[in-house]
Amino acid sequence: MATDGAKTRREFVQACGLAAGTLALSGAVPRALLAATEPEHPEIPNENVAKVYRECFGGRPITKGQLSLDMPLIAEDGRVVPVIIESALPMAEGEYVKTVRLIVDHNPDALLASFHLTPGMGRVELSTRIKMKRTTWVRAIAETSDGRLFADYAKVNVTLNGCG
Amino acid sequence: MMHTDIGNGRLRLPAKIRQGEIITVHSIVTHPMDTGLFRDASGDPIPPFFIKEMRVDFAGVLVARFEWSTGISKDPVMSFPLKADREGTLLVTWTDNAGAVFRQSAAIAFDAA
Repeated sequence: MATDGAKTRREFVQACGLAAGTLALSGAVPRALLAATEPEHPEIPNENVAKVYRECFGGRPITKGQLSLDMPLIAEDGRVVPVIIESALPMAEGEYVKTVRLIVDHNPDALLASFHLTPGMGRVELSTRIKMKRTTWVRAIAETSDGRLFADYAKVNVTLNGCG
Repeated sequence: MMHTDIGNGRLRLPAKIRQGEIITVHSIVTHPMDTGLFRDASGDPIPPFFIKEMRVDFAGVLVARFEWSTGISKDPVMSFPLKADREGTLLVTWTDNAGAVFRQSAAIAFDAA
């Protein structure tokens, strides 16, 4: 992957946030418009994703944060898209992240993977490579041992369909 | 068949490990991870053929279990942390949807220094 010299997604998003914040202070952009540029939670786009939410999360509230999903802004080849998931949530006996689910909104199989973890890992830091059919939101949702849910999202622009 | 070594798994660990350290383990396993959505050159559908589970055990204790769909890229790579609080065998087991089971192991041992 050619990332040399390129900004990471996080830096880019932070830069956008900073720019948006400056505009907001100057009063040039209505607050509602700013919110629309980076929604707290992307809308559920289809029945496949709705079904995953029903079956895995059962309508429990999901908090954005405590988890980071890092992916490229643009994936030139949808067959091989890198994913990094990290969290500073505790990984101790009695309090740990028990599952991280990776959901790709517009893939044929929206629930791409479920990573079941234990305190024996010591921390949450997973990376792999996935296939993406087209430009869409990707969701990483962590479930703690006491049933709390934390999420992060990344919108990835896909140039070459990796699903057929 | 393009793949001649399906199920060949490899693990990479740090060269030196200190007791109590959280290390990162890198893994790769050879597998086509066919989605079932493609056709071969003669137009026949290629059925889904993929690893559905990767399991990690350390010193006989389950550390992680990853459920995969066909959305994981061909020749799956996976990096994950491991708390090296004792010496023992790290065992990774991959199971595909045809029922084949592939294993790879590595010894976690501390430097005498």
